[in-house]
Amino acid sequence: MSGAVVLALRLLAAVALYGFLAWALIFLFREIQRQAVALAVRRVPGLSIMVESPGGHGVLRYFNQAEITIGRDPGSDIPLSDDTVSARHAHLVYHHNQWWIEDLASTNGTMLNKLPVTIPTVITSGDEIQCGSIGLSISLSENVIIEPTQRLDKQTHSQ
Amino acid sequence: MNQKTQGRLLQWAALFLFLQSIILTLSPAVRERSWDVDYRFSHWIGFSAWGILTYIAHRSLTKSLPERDTFLFPLASLLSGWGILTIWRLDEGFGLRQTAWLGLSTIVFVAAVSRLKSLSLLKRYKYLFLSAGLIVTGLTLIFGTNPLGFGPRLWLSLGDLYFQPSEPLKILLVIYLSAYLAERVKIRLTSLPLLIPTIVVIGLALLLLIVQRDLGTASIFILIYTVFLFIASGKRRMLLATGAFLLVSLSIGFYFVDVIQVRVMGWLNPWSDPTGNSYQITQSLLAVANGGVLGRGLGIGSPLLVPVSISDFIFSAIAEETGLIGSLGIILLFWLLLTRGLTIALRSPDNFRRYLASGIASYLGIQSILIIGGNLRLLPLTGVTLPFVSYGGSSLLTSYIALYLLLAASNIEDDEPASLRDSRPIPFLAGLFAFGFAACAVTGAWWSVIRGDDLLARTDNARRAIADRYVLRGKLVDSNNRPINITTGKSGSYIRTYYYPDLAPISGYTHPVFGQAGLEANLDGYLRGLQGNPTSLILWNQLIYGTPPPGLDVRLSLDLNLQTTADELLGTYPGAVILMNAETGEILVLASHPTFDPNRLDSEGEMLTQNESSPLLNRATQGLYPVGDVFLPILEAKFPGEIPFNSRLITLYEESGLFRTPSITLPSVDYTLPNSVEDLRASPLQVCLAAAAISYQGILPAPRIATAVNTREQGWVVLPALGEPRVLLPPEAAKEAAFSLIEEGGAFWSHIATGNISKTAVTWFLAGTPPDWQGAPLAVVVAVEKHNPALAERIGKSLLNAALDR
Repeated sequence: MSGAVVLALRLLAAVALYGFLAWALIFLFREIQRQAVALAVRRVPGLSIMVESPGGHGVLRYFNQAEITIGRDPGSDIPLSDDTVSARHAHLVYHHNQWWIEDLASTNGTMLNKLPVTIPTVITSGDEIQCGSIGLSISLSENVIIEPTQRLDKQTHSQ
Repeated sequence: MNQKTQGRLLQWAALFLFLQSIILTLSPAVRERSWDVDYRFSHWIGFSAWGILTYIAHRSLTKSLPERDTFLFPLASLLSGWGILTIWRLDEGFGLRQTAWLGLSTIVFVAAVSRLKSLSLLKRYKYLFLSAGLIVTGLTLIFGTNPLGFGPRLWLSLGDLYFQPSEPLKILLVIYLSAYLAERVKIRLTSLPLLIPTIVVIGLALLLLIVQRDLGTASIFILIYTVFLFIASGKRRMLLATGAFLLVSLSIGFYFVDVIQVRVMGWLNPWSDPTGNSYQITQSLLAVANGGVLGRGLGIGSPLLVPVSISDFIFSAIAEETGLIGSLGIILLFWLLLTRGLTIALRSPDNFRRYLASGIASYLGIQSILIIGGNLRLLPLTGVTLPFVSYGGSSLLTSYIALYLLLAASNIEDDEPASLRDSRPIPFLAGLFAFGFAACAVTGAWWSVIRGDDLLARTDNARRAIADRYVLRGKLVDSNNRPINITTGKSGSYIRTYYYPDLAPISGYTHPVFGQAGLEANLDGYLRGLQGNPTSLILWNQLIYGTPPPGLDVRLSLDLNLQTTADELLGTYPGAVILMNAETGEILVLASHPTFDPNRLDSEGEMLTQNESSPLLNRATQGLYPVGDVFLPILEAKFPGEIPFNSRLITLYEESGLFRTPSITLPSVDYTLPNSVEDLRASPLQVCLAAAAISYQGILPAPRIATAVNTREQGWVVLPALGEPRVLLPPEAAKEAAFSLIEEGGAFWSHIATGNISKTAVTWFLAGTPPDWQGAPLAVVVAVEKHNPALAERIGKSLLNAALDR
């Protein structure tokens, strides 16, 4: 009789041990989820770029994503059909609360305010970028774009 | 969210430990299968202390390190609580001490958490820490001692307190290496700056190994250093090089350092010397096997059979009492701890924290894999502790300091991780450790499930003897249900009592030290309840008690009245007497002298094995005596009036079953063909079967001694004879032979013979009921170990008369 009672307790103890482990895994999963959400709602200040075209008049483009690629490749965010531009020429990345420009080992190099970009460099409004023979001018938007979806909203509240 | 994780996990940990405490309280009731026992309560002190200390630390963490990793503390807390309960179960004194050590560790931990939130102090004073650690460790070379009074002298003593400086030295080394390497931007393996730490580490390891004989700590130092070099340089060949280096030093050390030789031999081939150098590892594997899947339950197994189960072998103690479920759980806990540690390393905003977190995590991982693998015979045994779990103040304190360092490193407030020069090392390390833990888990499953039954059936498994103290063993009774060997006492102190000691060479004994012999060994399955009981009952008992069900009684064909007569007649003469029912083969009397008293095995057992008159030998079935002319009557019946050639003689002996072991539930010798006919020997049982053929229709009966077993469901069930009766002589020839052997006016046939080979002399006396006997036909054989026909004849005739008068 005592054996059966203790057997039940042993099974319960096993449940408790694996309950601990299961909760640990659930919390781990939630942590990943939370981190993903946190990264997804991270505020990216919008960026306006005036792209010089060979004809002389520029095209103004507006972005609110964290990475903007520049290159001759048509898939680029800013496609530049110019022979002096490499296929993957440079990119603009937002991290550490700053916009950065990084040259992606392009053939003709990237210039920031007439100086060659060799390491990732912080950019700000009014900066002039030169990719090959094409010039781009940067202006940071004042109004911050956030994209809170319904689902994200719910999750941030539930936490 | 953050705080909730830690609180919720701690609640589960508390629930688990609470249930384990109840199990431990109730465990005496299960062991003795009764509610009327002394329950265990003292470990509740440990549980309550754990609860209070954990709560204090939980509060302090929540307040002081709001951004810390919330998994680490619950993991460590569950491990240390589990350790305290296991230690308390093994030894209450040590349990209390460990609780005190947990108190001290928690105080140090809470103080560090609330006062030393920044780790920059450690970075600044790295050389101070390292030198202090080295000096204190160096002191053990001079003032070192061992709490046990023998073994490696790794401790410093302060009155009654012992401290092992090599434990915190591991942490100090990790701090030093982290600070040192973090100062250097790029590490090349060939660069000069690496020279100093390399010399420090290798020198330390060698010193520990050669002077202190501490194989475990030495290899941990080398491995920790390798991990640092690997993370700093990103070169995978670093790991290979260290692996090769360890292998080479292991093989060199094998020849020069005895402790390595002992450990490696014990690892490679433990079963060759299970009572000597590999005693620990074989006992550890038996404990793991006894755990099975579900474990015996805290307090219900026998982990104390494993030496130093409170520290080095605590993992096998846990595996025995919580089974594969528990050992997998503990491996998972350590794996989570390690993974969180490496995650902290990845998120660190600077290199110092990154090195520190990965170093501490690797230290915990390496040490737990080394000792868990050592316990499971996956790796050679290294006497290191299982972090957080094992008994030991220095070990627990060191584990808590490691925990503090990890938590402090994880308390990052909104800083971006430092960029990683090479993405490979940390994930590779995580994979390597995961592989190590997975290998431990698979090995654990191998010993506890797949190989478990084989291991537990080993005769050197002391758990069988322990089960005998708690489970009623079946009785051996004679044909009139008079007890021969029975178990007396109450559960927990059952002992086997031998009511008829003169039968000892036949009925045998079952003894915790001397094992089993005779019928006790051959009928062990029934007597122990593993045979004749329904499988479900056996499984149920195995599940709830870890023992077989109560044993079944076995009835023997022996008649104690006649047995007494035979024993009195044979007296002090060495020899054997058998009386058999010639028709059924049932053995009514089986005497072998000299005999011994199995009730006094405790005091006399050692002498018995050396006694020159070999009282332990069952002469009736195992004794081989020169045949001489004992088969003459059969010879004459088979080949009337002629002297047969040797080849036909051999055929006859073959037919008489001389070259075969009689099938009977008793130990018998294995027969080999003799070199010549003159060299022929036979056991009294074989001769008795031939005599039975003369008494009853020329048939060699199948001998029987165990006739029935008392099962739970069907009562007494007949145990059939193991062999088949075989025809030796035509019935007419047997009849004639018997008549020709009856003396003038005698009531039965008889034949006296002597055998003599070199110095062994034996007198045989064969007799039996005549062919026209109305009752059960009988055959008797007497063998006395000297030339004395009158004695043999007197014994045989008196016994036969007593049997006929019955």
